[in-house]
Amino acid sequence: MDIFEAIKTRRSIRHYKPDPIDDPTLARILEAANWAPSWGNTQSWRFIVVRDPAIRQQVADTLRLVRVDNEWVENAANQAIRQAPVLVVVCAEEGHAGYAPDGAPATDKGEYWYMFDIALAMENLTLAAHALGLGTVIVGGFDAIKAAQILEVPQACRVVTMTPLGVPERQGQVSPRKKPNEVTYYDKYGKC
Amino acid sequence: MDIFDAIKNRRSIRRYRPDPVDEATLNKVLEAGRWAPSWANTQCWRFVVARDPAVREALAGSLSKIKLPDRELENPAAGAFRTVPVVIVVAAKTGTAGYAPDGAPATDKGDWFMHDAALATQNMVLAAHALGLGTVIIGAFDAKKAEAALNLPEGYRAVVMLPLGVPDHEGKAPPRKELGELVIRDKWDK
Repeated sequence: MDIFEAIKTRRSIRHYKPDPIDDPTLARILEAANWAPSWGNTQSWRFIVVRDPAIRQQVADTLRLVRVDNEWVENAANQAIRQAPVLVVVCAEEGHAGYAPDGAPATDKGEYWYMFDIALAMENLTLAAHALGLGTVIVGGFDAIKAAQILEVPQACRVVTMTPLGVPERQGQVSPRKKPNEVTYYDKYGKC
Repeated sequence: MDIFDAIKNRRSIRRYRPDPVDEATLNKVLEAGRWAPSWANTQCWRFVVARDPAVREALAGSLSKIKLPDRELENPAAGAFRTVPVVIVVAAKTGTAGYAPDGAPATDKGDWFMHDAALATQNMVLAAHALGLGTVIIGAFDAKKAEAALNLPEGYRAVVMLPLGVPDHEGKAPPRKELGELVIRDKWDK
């Protein structure tokens, strides 16, 4: 699929078919994620591929409830994680991205640079999945500490984000984007 | 360009030709950034397109110096900032991504602006590559200086800078870890 088409037609998918995903397809998607650039080529991302339905359910239960019309309801991603055959949980090994060779933080963002690098890989992953006919939705609103316990993630790693991966059951909706002149300025902030 | 080719063949480009980048091409790159997903569609990214040589020079001056035992050297990327016709600064509005509707941080990560700015950045570097242009994601700079040079208001942070131009060399692919080193099945000990 053409890159611009992939970028413009990718949607967040919250309803999946149970159709399986074979290992070569999954490997192509993870390979794409792994080709993302990273701070000093530190590649701090780690991917946990969860196929086991019981573990998927446990991880889904760490998702935050969302408020709809003054009522707290289950996040739609919870059901998506149960439906899709694969859940990819992305973790970051801390202490690499954003640090100078002497071990001191290199920027005013400190340790949080791992959030940046993880997202570079995640964007590749979602685009690659879409090009192969598979859906994703990036989920960040969950209890990462609990998820780390369930997945037995070592201390040095943080659970950052996750996505179900599977055949879309419904088309995703287009989230309206801000206009170009609402997010783009020339030479100085505020200049259009 | 096929998405997998774009992902696998994109390289960090550190030397550029001075050839201009027209508005239509630039807009395709920015458009790709704008179509990235974001936390609850908050779209916290802002793109400041620096073409003015004086602004590009000020941004070059914000780059971290290379420290040697007896002196400091200019960051090699500074030369690229002077050669390329365009530097895109990816900035972000803080206090939106990563927050619950009641305004409290929704996760243990606090603000997610770094994450969402990167989703847009990755789309832009891929799009640029597909259009025959090079980029390199630069994070090691004095963000306060860059924010001042761009008049970024309170509540906005400069995240990364991307020189954008015609490559003057073929980039090298730094080796990647094998998938086996990075992929864990079901639980970490497996």
